Amino acid sequence: MWYVLIAVGILVFAILAISAKRLLISAIWLAITSALTALMLFLLGAPQIAVIELSVGAGLVTVLFVFAINIAGEEVIGLRSALPLPLVWTSIVLACGLLIFFIFRSLGFVQFPDATNTIAASVLWQDRYLDFLLQTVLILAGVLGVIGLLAHSKDEHSAEEKA
Amino acid sequence: MNLPIPFIVLLAVISLAGTGFYCLLFTRNLIKVVVALQLIVKGVVLAFVLAGHLQQNESLAQTMAITVIVADTIVAVIGLSLAVQIRQHTGSLDLKALSKLKR
Amino acid sequence: MISILIACSIGLPWVGALLVWLIGDKHEKVQHWTSILFSLAAGAAAVLMLWNTTGDAGLTIKMGGIFGDFTFIPDGLGVFLAVIATVIGSLAVIFSTSYMKGETQIGRYYAFVLFFIGAMVGLVLTSNIMLMFLFWEITALCSYALIAFHNDDPKAVRGGIKALIITSIGGVGLLLGALILFVYTGSFDIRLFIADHSAVPAGMMAVLAFGFLIAAAAKSAQFPFQTWLPDAMEAPSPISALIHAATMVNAGVYLLARFFPAFKDVLYWREAVMIVGMLSALLAAIMALTSTDLKRVLAYSTVSQLGYMVYAVGAGSVFASQFHLFSHSIFKALLFLGAGAVIHSVGTRDMTKMGGVGKHMPFVKWVFIIGALALSGIPILNGFWSKELVLEAGLAGGPSWIYAVMVLVAGLTALYTIRCVWMVFFGEARSDYHAHKVELAMKVALAPLALAALVSWLAVGPFSQLLGEATLPQHNIETLSLASMFHEVLSIPTLIALIGIAIGIALWLLRSKLAGFIEGLKSLQWAAEHSFGFEAVNSAVVRVTNGLAETLRNTQTGLLNWNVLGILAALIILLAAIILGA
Repeated sequence: MWYVLIAVGILVFAILAISAKRLLISAIWLAITSALTALMLFLLGAPQIAVIELSVGAGLVTVLFVFAINIAGEEVIGLRSALPLPLVWTSIVLACGLLIFFIFRSLGFVQFPDATNTIAASVLWQDRYLDFLLQTVLILAGVLGVIGLLAHSKDEHSAEEKA
Repeated sequence: MNLPIPFIVLLAVISLAGTGFYCLLFTRNLIKVVVALQLIVKGVVLAFVLAGHLQQNESLAQTMAITVIVADTIVAVIGLSLAVQIRQHTGSLDLKALSKLKR
Repeated sequence: MISILIACSIGLPWVGALLVWLIGDKHEKVQHWTSILFSLAAGAAAVLMLWNTTGDAGLTIKMGGIFGDFTFIPDGLGVFLAVIATVIGSLAVIFSTSYMKGETQIGRYYAFVLFFIGAMVGLVLTSNIMLMFLFWEITALCSYALIAFHNDDPKAVRGGIKALIITSIGGVGLLLGALILFVYTGSFDIRLFIADHSAVPAGMMAVLAFGFLIAAAAKSAQFPFQTWLPDAMEAPSPISALIHAATMVNAGVYLLARFFPAFKDVLYWREAVMIVGMLSALLAAIMALTSTDLKRVLAYSTVSQLGYMVYAVGAGSVFASQFHLFSHSIFKALLFLGAGAVIHSVGTRDMTKMGGVGKHMPFVKWVFIIGALALSGIPILNGFWSKELVLEAGLAGGPSWIYAVMVLVAGLTALYTIRCVWMVFFGEARSDYHAHKVELAMKVALAPLALAALVSWLAVGPFSQLLGEATLPQHNIETLSLASMFHEVLSIPTLIALIGIAIGIALWLLRSKLAGFIEGLKSLQWAAEHSFGFEAVNSAVVRVTNGLAETLRNTQTGLLNWNVLGILAALIILLAAIILGA
């Protein structure tokens, strides 16, 4: 029963997040969606992922959003889509429909194991050096990107000051 | 309703990815694009964890999920800072106004 | 130890490239010195490898099951070419500090030069054909970026695009070969394939062999792809010396030499290789005879000399081809750098506007003449020995009519070389140019090359040992001492070749008396200027590729929504395929 409630909540808040007119509101709906996702992850027996999702997805990223929206400013952009609307709807409905059909057909017989595997946590960080490496590289890339962007804006400021 | 739990979770995954894709197709706002990406990736994380659960291979699935979260956070950081930069350069967040590839 | 050397000779130039780019164009001096430092360090690492050659893997990076291991084998052939790439690369960089002084965006220039040097070393050392393909394409990319370095000049950009497209066609041949190799042997390892190629059926072997011949011909500007190299001469002169004379264009010859043991039994392959070499050598020599652009003459002569190397491989003597490659890298880099000094000083590439330059630049004149004599094959310079070895090998391993044509080309080579030297350095000045002084950095780069052109042939003993059985068991290269080289070269066929060369020189000296003969050549000149029609073919290829790209460009709206729609459509198709298939 909990699952159904959370799933419905996720759908509702996701729709709210993409349909909100103001970006700030949109970011807040996104944070709530993220929190609900974290809850579902927790119920699925992945508390570590849930905590990370909650702190990063609902926390850090929301702060970033608020930050960015504050700097960039709200902007109401015409709601007219760049693509023809029937095309958008057809493709979305088609994709989701096919996915649901696919899932119902192929996963019908799978039993859901209810006992959660607790040794996962110790295996998690010991066997997966590659992931660590990958994540380090990713974080490095992120840091480099931000430095690059900031350095660029600094140049601009100095150019503006000179002018 | 008496659906098995995996179906409910998968429906949540599809609703996250579906709304995300709809937003990506529809929106012209650069920051909304990042919001949509976040939604899709949440769906992906959920799907990873569920798949691991079903396959009894949680360690692999969960590390993958963490990697995806890290990657997505970095995408959000870069995307948002790009949006800020673009806004400061061009004064707009409208994708259509930014499209300069057309001749 | 050897793994560190390999990593250094590939990695240091790349680190240098990154650093030069990060330093920024505001600090031009620092950029000059950083590039010199890193290229010299890579050169030192490559030279140290000479004493550590081995036929086994020197450096292996495990990459999981899909691409195989990334293995680097420092065998004689690879190390020799790595040394050429890094040492001549260093000299080109040193030369550039003076040649490129004051240019804008010097960081881009050095970054690409260093990136190229590292990739070239990787290309010749790796034994994973997928990795080889990667390095192959990186060198093509760098070549394009450096030809089009002056990207506000449409001629340079056109030359760059042409070089990129034609060499990429060759790259497709290599990729095809790599895939066939993987399908039949289940691995990307070149060394295993050369040692035992019984897994590949004969028909596929022919596809592989001729595919690689196309790849090599495109990369080395051989017939029928020879027209990109002259157009690449829009590049700055040090680039012409490094990429388009001493290193990248040799990659094709290297490919043929590397795979020779596997392909030598493929029906008609050796004959095809010899004919490609012969046609390139002959046509390019005639074109060199009629061109009046100093760098284009040198470019044609490069095509012609590469033709000799290809011919030698076809005739079965990998050693002769590599020895000629060795000599050619030295004297052609010397000639290009010398030409660069002249062009930098006089301010034009048109030889009809030069004349008498020797009076203003005696140093450049003498080193250029040394290079020219080596190119013509005059004893006792390095070009003489290696070219004679190529001709001997051709006589022994190929039909005599091809040999006769190659001797004729040797005569033509002497003729166009002496014409070029005469038009540039001697006679009266034909226009009002102001020659500048030659700077120290240019002399520092030119002097060692001139010295090497004089004496590098003395190293034939160690050189043949380097390519010998110890590290290349499949190539059957016998050790050749200096004395036995004397014995082999000083024979009747050499006399014939020397007579051919002498006739070539005599033709130039007697040119006023042979006016009628020259008139007869006029009709040939028209054909030569149009590259015997192959220019049209090559241009058509480039035009079609460009047109296709322009058409496909319409699919790129630059609007994110459309791109996402594409992704979603792919998802739908994939799902539908799974559902229908299952």
